[in-house]
Amino acid sequence: MKNGRLFLVIVALLLTSLSSAWAVKIEISAPGEQEIPLALTSFLPMGPIKPEIAQEIDAVLEADLSLSGLFSLVDRGAFLSDAESLGLSSVQVDFAQWKLLGAEAVIKGGYRVEGDRLIIEARLFDVVARRMLTGRRYIGKLDEARRIAHTFADQVLLSLTGTKGPFSSRIAYISNRTGKKELYLMEVDGHAPVRLTSHRKIVLNPDFSPVGKELLFTSYKNGNPDLFRKEIYTGRESRLSHRKGLNIGGRYSPDGREVAVTLSKDKNSELYLLGTDGTIHKRLTNHWGIDVDPSWSPAGNEIAFVSDRRGNPHVYIVKLDSLEVRRLTFDGKYNATPAWSPDGKRIAFSRLEDKRFDIYTIKPDGTDQRRLTFGPGNKEHPRWSPDGRFLVYSLDHNNEKSIYLMRADGTGTRRISAPGGDDSHPAWSGHW
Amino acid sequence: MKLSKKQNWQRLHSRFEPGFMRMLLLSVAIHVLLPAFYTGLLYFSPPKEKPPVYRVNLVNKPVKNPQAGRPEASQKKQETVKKTQPKASPKPVVKPKPKPAPKPKPKPVVKPKPKPVAKPKPKPAPKPTVSKADEQSLAQKIDAMRRQKEREDRIAKLKEDLARERDKVVSPVVDAPVGEITGKGDEEGIAFASYVKAYITEQWRYSPYLGNNLNLEAVWVLVYSAEGQLVHKKVIAKSGNRAFDDSLLRAILKSQDLGRELGEKTEFEVTFNLREMQN
Repeated sequence: MKNGRLFLVIVALLLTSLSSAWAVKIEISAPGEQEIPLALTSFLPMGPIKPEIAQEIDAVLEADLSLSGLFSLVDRGAFLSDAESLGLSSVQVDFAQWKLLGAEAVIKGGYRVEGDRLIIEARLFDVVARRMLTGRRYIGKLDEARRIAHTFADQVLLSLTGTKGPFSSRIAYISNRTGKKELYLMEVDGHAPVRLTSHRKIVLNPDFSPVGKELLFTSYKNGNPDLFRKEIYTGRESRLSHRKGLNIGGRYSPDGREVAVTLSKDKNSELYLLGTDGTIHKRLTNHWGIDVDPSWSPAGNEIAFVSDRRGNPHVYIVKLDSLEVRRLTFDGKYNATPAWSPDGKRIAFSRLEDKRFDIYTIKPDGTDQRRLTFGPGNKEHPRWSPDGRFLVYSLDHNNEKSIYLMRADGTGTRRISAPGGDDSHPAWSGHW
Repeated sequence: MKLSKKQNWQRLHSRFEPGFMRMLLLSVAIHVLLPAFYTGLLYFSPPKEKPPVYRVNLVNKPVKNPQAGRPEASQKKQETVKKTQPKASPKPVVKPKPKPAPKPKPKPVVKPKPKPVAKPKPKPAPKPTVSKADEQSLAQKIDAMRRQKEREDRIAKLKEDLARERDKVVSPVVDAPVGEITGKGDEEGIAFASYVKAYITEQWRYSPYLGNNLNLEAVWVLVYSAEGQLVHKKVIAKSGNRAFDDSLLRAILKSQDLGRELGEKTEFEVTFNLREMQN
């Protein structure tokens, strides 16, 4: 009996091993296509027809999802009858039609206006698996169709990648549209620019607080370059540091409890850590060279900065516990404005080469340096989106400065600030 | 006073500082080694690994017994077929004719050639009547005909060589494998495994922007029926990345029908990774 069982076990094992040995082995080392074909249908009315709302949602979603680089949009002209149907549950969607068009994902939605309220239903379906990937109902004001569309675009990225998109966040920047350099705020696609300051002097170098909707910036409002803090919604403003000399390049720590800043109170520009009340917590550098442009590592234990301690300006990294400084860049004659990526894997900076600034990224260990921008004009002040997918920077070309955005690999470049103003020093907010 | 050689050497030695000779030797050694260091002769340079060559077959259709090797190899096989053709080709030409009149017809076809040569032979009977001049002119004509034939043969051969040279397929990569690596087979084309690989690859959509990790790998076992239908699928190893694993599931669901018969039920162990996107 025992022998019989043993025999059966051995036979089963042999069969299992033989079956795997018989399998034809195939290795597929790259996908056939690197974009997901997405059908983005027009949002349909669930009540009175308001074509302008549908158009706004369609335009925002199309722009955001194209920028993501994830999708190739299926031609709307080829859509069949299901695009005209308001079926928003997976059993109501005719997946066969979308499969026929080669779409792997489809976005459908509807809107309804109730008094001064706008209700938007939005769905993302997986055509192959015939299931809904994500669905949301948004309720907002009538003029919030754009904001809702950005939010759903973030949701689409979250559902497909596990990381929320940055489309509903904000970008702060400096512009001289009024004749003076003031602080502005706009949406990620450049819409709805709002002026936040009216100092009628020079305002510089904004940075968002990681907690709360708050901004740091330097202003010559009182004659000296002082560090200011501003609450965006209340408009409340206060001076965080107004020591003699420079109070510039203020950057919040990832937990928002400290601010790294360049002070020149002792004649030479050095990096300091300030508390949120403006008191000095720690001096980070002590060198005859100029130390500016701090940028925190996401872990909050290191700061990248620019120093000319070895001659030309280069990027260095200082450890906050030991204050040990190491040099990061060695190439080029002028490296400036480092920005640490949110995942901590790369540091973006601008470098002067061939009489022109371009954006580069490098790993924090100094390896794998990559140039991201090409073409005419100076590209400076790179800053990462909160999800690390995109970079925003300023381009100075043909005597005009404007804000540009691109994917983190340098593709998909597009101008986001409107023409007619010198726009520079962008800073990307956290998730809004 | 004459000094011995040893004394001379000791005297010379005493003139230098202690350790001078050692330093001199060291200096000479350094001078010898310096150029070697400079030219890199002493550095060990590990042999560089050849980068992998990926060849994509966009044209060939799957066949049961794919012919292997490089295009040159497949060309050679064609040549061998061509060589045997001359033997085989006359048969179909001759065969249809003999059927209605099997024997007499082939003979006139074959005989005309020797006839011009043979004709003068029967004539020798009236030889005495033929003048020597006629005989000579006939011989000259025959000779000219032979030369003409030889020239035509030579031209035909040259044309054949030229055509063969023109049709010769040369691989752009000297040592790259082409077709099936097994090196055996009797048909030009690709194996079913290659077809299945190409088919699933075509169905697989994955954007690098779905995640910033390109070091992902997953293994699936797919069993297809003889009719090319997916009858069983099983994941052996997941990548751990949801977007990547979802994209594979989508690709496999899209590959449920291969659109072609496989001939027999086949199990495939498919490894998916992003190696080609890592550069």
